[in-house]
Amino acid sequence: MGLRLLVLLVTVGGGVLQSTVVAARGVGGVTPDVPLILTVLIALRSGPESGCLAGFVAGLLQDLTGGGLVGVQALTKGLAGFGMGLLVGRFWVTNPLVQVPGLVLLSVTEGLGRFLLLQMFHYPAAFGELMLHVILPQALYNGLIGTLCILAEAGYELMRRRSWQ
Amino acid sequence: MRVRRYGILLAVLLVSFLLLTVQGELMAIVLTPVQSLLVRVHRGALGFWANYVDWKVVRREVVSLRGENEQLRVQALQAGETREENTRLRRLLVLRDRLPLATVAGEVIGREAGGWVRSLTVNRGRSDGIAQQTPVIMPDGLVGRVVQVHRGAAVIQLLNDPASTVGAVVQRTRTAGLVEGDAGGAVRFKFMARDGASVAPGDLVVTSGLGTLFPKGLPVGRVVKIEDKGSALFHFAVLTPAVDVSRVEEVLLITGQTTQDVAALFPSDG
Repeated sequence: MGLRLLVLLVTVGGGVLQSTVVAARGVGGVTPDVPLILTVLIALRSGPESGCLAGFVAGLLQDLTGGGLVGVQALTKGLAGFGMGLLVGRFWVTNPLVQVPGLVLLSVTEGLGRFLLLQMFHYPAAFGELMLHVILPQALYNGLIGTLCILAEAGYELMRRRSWQ
Repeated sequence: MRVRRYGILLAVLLVSFLLLTVQGELMAIVLTPVQSLLVRVHRGALGFWANYVDWKVVRREVVSLRGENEQLRVQALQAGETREENTRLRRLLVLRDRLPLATVAGEVIGREAGGWVRSLTVNRGRSDGIAQQTPVIMPDGLVGRVVQVHRGAAVIQLLNDPASTVGAVVQRTRTAGLVEGDAGGAVRFKFMARDGASVAPGDLVVTSGLGTLFPKGLPVGRVVKIEDKGSALFHFAVLTPAVDVSRVEEVLLITGQTTQDVAALFPSDG
């Protein structure tokens, strides 16, 4: 119960963070997708169920506050969380050297999924431009933020172990 | 476990597709209150963030303004110091030009005010023509005399040094006596004859010029009070020195001699 509440708080907090702090910290108009990063981190630690629910809630929040089609990001992020959760225990996904490229790849996949889904609703943007100016830069930015998160977590773990000794 | 896992996935998929398919009026009716609430939360968070950014900017400005303020204060202090030094040097120059005596200007480079000895060290010495017993003055009056001479420096015994003795007279009554310092830092006018005792507080005491050491009429101090010992042969007065020796920065060392009374060349209040 405590874990679920924490997951929910992190997810909602990530959504709020995305629309406030992150929006003001864009580089060249590109911002990282903090809810997606948090979804991946939750999925890696808590499995596909938590990842799926966290992604769904985070995506739904983004849909509702972003003013786009409600359900698109809820679906793509829910799937991303589930998929990432399923990979735990395979392909060395617990290794940071796999996690960061995995996050970049997942960001691209989530972007592609979102684009395909939007095509059903006649989304007007060209795929090439979207890929070049939005999906790829955001995926790289996500990788950078993900790296920082992983390093911070590793540092925290190290300090905790030392304090035990 | 597996059923639960895929059940959750299925539920998420179903709800998402449901949301996507009912984008029209019905969706608006259901979601508008939720969206309003979220927008309010979003605005609150944005306001919080904007406040934080403003606070950061203000804090940076405060730090910068504090630094600037500090710098300006230092500059103001330096300007004040320079202005005061300028005033002191002008007064010294005016006195030097008025005096019918050869003088050398000196700057104080050391002080001794422990009580046993009260002295100043100036940056003028034998190489500047300074000899022992050279009188030292300021625009306000007598400072003391040179008691030690080195090649490039001289030690001045101050008027309130316990070993200092200067022949003096009360300017108004011409009552003669000796001005001496004491261990407490006070200056006393001693050995006043009782018969000439119309001396009153506020009277100016000047050098008598009876020896060859000090020129006649250099202000020494003002009478603060008379101490009458009753049957004693002499009585004495406590003086406020004409020169505040604790604040002396520049002095004139008198290298020439004159028999002229120089009292008129000093300010009447000093």
